[in-house]
Amino acid sequence: MSPTETQQWQRLAPVALVFLVIDGLQKFIRENLFYFLGAGAGFAFLDWLGPRELFLVVAAILLSFLAWAIIFHRRFRFRLEDDAIRVRRGLFQKRELRVRFARVQNIQLGRPFYFRPFGLVRFSLETPGAAEKEVELPGIPAELAEIMRDRVTGWQAGGMPDDPSTEQEDDSTGSELFHAGSGRLFLHGLSSNQIWVLAGLVGWLIGNFHDRLEDYYREIALVQWLSDAAGPVWLVVAGMIMVGLVILMLLSGLFSIVRFHDYRLSDCDDRLVGIGGLLDQREQTVKRDKITGLTLQQSALGRLLGCWYLIVRQTQSGDQELSDAQTRFLVPGLRRQDHGLTASVTPDWITPGLLKPISLHFRRIFWLRWLLVFVLVLVGLAFLFDREHWSLQITAAGMVLWMIGIQLRWRHWGWQADGDCIWVRQGFLGQQLDVFDLPLVQQVRVTRGPYQRRHDLANLQLILPQGAVTIPFVPMDDAAELANRALYAAETAVTHRV
Amino acid sequence: MTETTEPSEFSNGPVPSDRLPDYRRVELNPVARPFYAYSLAVTGAFWLIVLAAVAWIPRLPFIPFDPGPWSVFAMSAATIWFCLVAWIDARRRGWVVREHDLIYRYGVIWQKTVIVPFARIQHVETASGPIERLFGLLRVKCFTAGGMMADLSVEGLDVRSARRVRQYLLEQIREEGSDSDRTGQAPAGDAQSPDAEESGEHESD
Repeated sequence: MSPTETQQWQRLAPVALVFLVIDGLQKFIRENLFYFLGAGAGFAFLDWLGPRELFLVVAAILLSFLAWAIIFHRRFRFRLEDDAIRVRRGLFQKRELRVRFARVQNIQLGRPFYFRPFGLVRFSLETPGAAEKEVELPGIPAELAEIMRDRVTGWQAGGMPDDPSTEQEDDSTGSELFHAGSGRLFLHGLSSNQIWVLAGLVGWLIGNFHDRLEDYYREIALVQWLSDAAGPVWLVVAGMIMVGLVILMLLSGLFSIVRFHDYRLSDCDDRLVGIGGLLDQREQTVKRDKITGLTLQQSALGRLLGCWYLIVRQTQSGDQELSDAQTRFLVPGLRRQDHGLTASVTPDWITPGLLKPISLHFRRIFWLRWLLVFVLVLVGLAFLFDREHWSLQITAAGMVLWMIGIQLRWRHWGWQADGDCIWVRQGFLGQQLDVFDLPLVQQVRVTRGPYQRRHDLANLQLILPQGAVTIPFVPMDDAAELANRALYAAETAVTHRV
Repeated sequence: MTETTEPSEFSNGPVPSDRLPDYRRVELNPVARPFYAYSLAVTGAFWLIVLAAVAWIPRLPFIPFDPGPWSVFAMSAATIWFCLVAWIDARRRGWVVREHDLIYRYGVIWQKTVIVPFARIQHVETASGPIERLFGLLRVKCFTAGGMMADLSVEGLDVRSARRVRQYLLEQIREEGSDSDRTGQAPAGDAQSPDAEESGEHESD
């Protein structure tokens, strides 16, 4: 495709309709599922409707989505300019958007299976200001998307790439930094925290279906039969929950393989490219100088399985916990020995051997305070009930667990300053290692409570483009020195990567 | 992205940590006197309303329970305590503009110091509520990257110094912005909501 062709206003391919409908429905279901099912009202509503009415309602929803997608598709136009992309869209309100390539920090190319026969891709851009994908072009020809991708990344390097075709070859030959096979991906899925979300969802659904299920159980006399064969009822129920969890974990592992299939992270000079996925192969490109930090993370299960993952951090705005699940640059299935990856992203980011612990006072004060709380509760309970009451035992057990929890929290906190590069570790059952450069610090906050003032300690909070990093209970002098260094680094920095 | 400083002018050798400017050694400006009155008035009014509610609600005919006179005493003590905290907070509150950053300190029990380098401020705005205007006060809000919590609101400035601080900050940002393409955001975007700035930004060049 010649550059002159790309300069004209263009439309999406007709197959994009499929994506629009699927994507719209997904969003609709995700946003409304809980309202609908909430408190079982949805089921009562379904009972009240007959199957024929239900079919009509579903058909009406589907049709309205189709109509929306058709109008959206008809109205949608985009144009590539020398240094920017322009998008016109809108159903009722016409919106025209112009995004300069220099602002782009993240490019995604998606290849859903139903686009592949037509040689189409889904192209999206992200800029630091936006909470979600800023520009999304579902269903444009692959060559055009690749030209745009190369232009966006090439432009930032200081000019147009001379020839798009050579640039493309460049991409495929970029040196491979990391490859995650299916085994690693399966472990990633097993250890990922999403299974607890899934388990919660399933538990909640079962709770909602409870009345129906109860009848069903009685009918097939499942629990009765099992307990006759295997033992007491509680054992059977616990066993069923375990079986359910194992099934969920297997599903989560399989889901991870589908999501990241054949994941590769490559180093293409000034950018990082991550490709993976079975049904919807995604290619994420990030400019190196738009990376503001890295996070190495391990869940509690990941610890047992020796499984880490890496998140490439970039400027965020808005509520990142909600927005970045879809778009964040995640490298799955790392082992301990793959930690060297951080150094291949930025040479100075070498995982530190030892981290400085935070003050022991952290543990002491939280132990003391919570001990006091628990003792008061125990005394109160002892007054209300007799000494052998179950609530006392549970509170006592809770107290011990809580104390162990505080110990774990304390033991995980750690930090290390090596030149301009800072490492901070935190965790509870899992752990998280953050690395960033001091010149990127946006704000420094030093907080001291009464106890900390008595022991000359402070909580240091460094606000970074990707969010805040806190180091609690550090000696005041260390905190002040780090704060002064961060400010000096930020104020004398040559480049601004935000 | 890179500043166009000549290599000969620019040096960036390591600085020993004891020679770094220490933010703790700076004298802070106290807040404007009306802020004391404002702070007391707002805190006092809030707790007096709560106190009045606690005192009067049991006397209403349709409220069956009476918490007794101790609740009024407790609320009065709380009112006095919070007014005291507000007064001490106003006395301790301070701000200062250094060559390259803005320092703001507040809090009584949890004492916080926030330092924002000019180079990282994306835009500045001033704001005031009706009661603040009554006392001739103005807040200066600084926005940096880093999500919702990255907004710093400097309270307790009188209108004149707040305007001056805002003007000064804007000049500093402009200077920073002129020799390096920072964020692509127009640094002059004062008194605008972040959203307004964002939507304007796509069209600006």
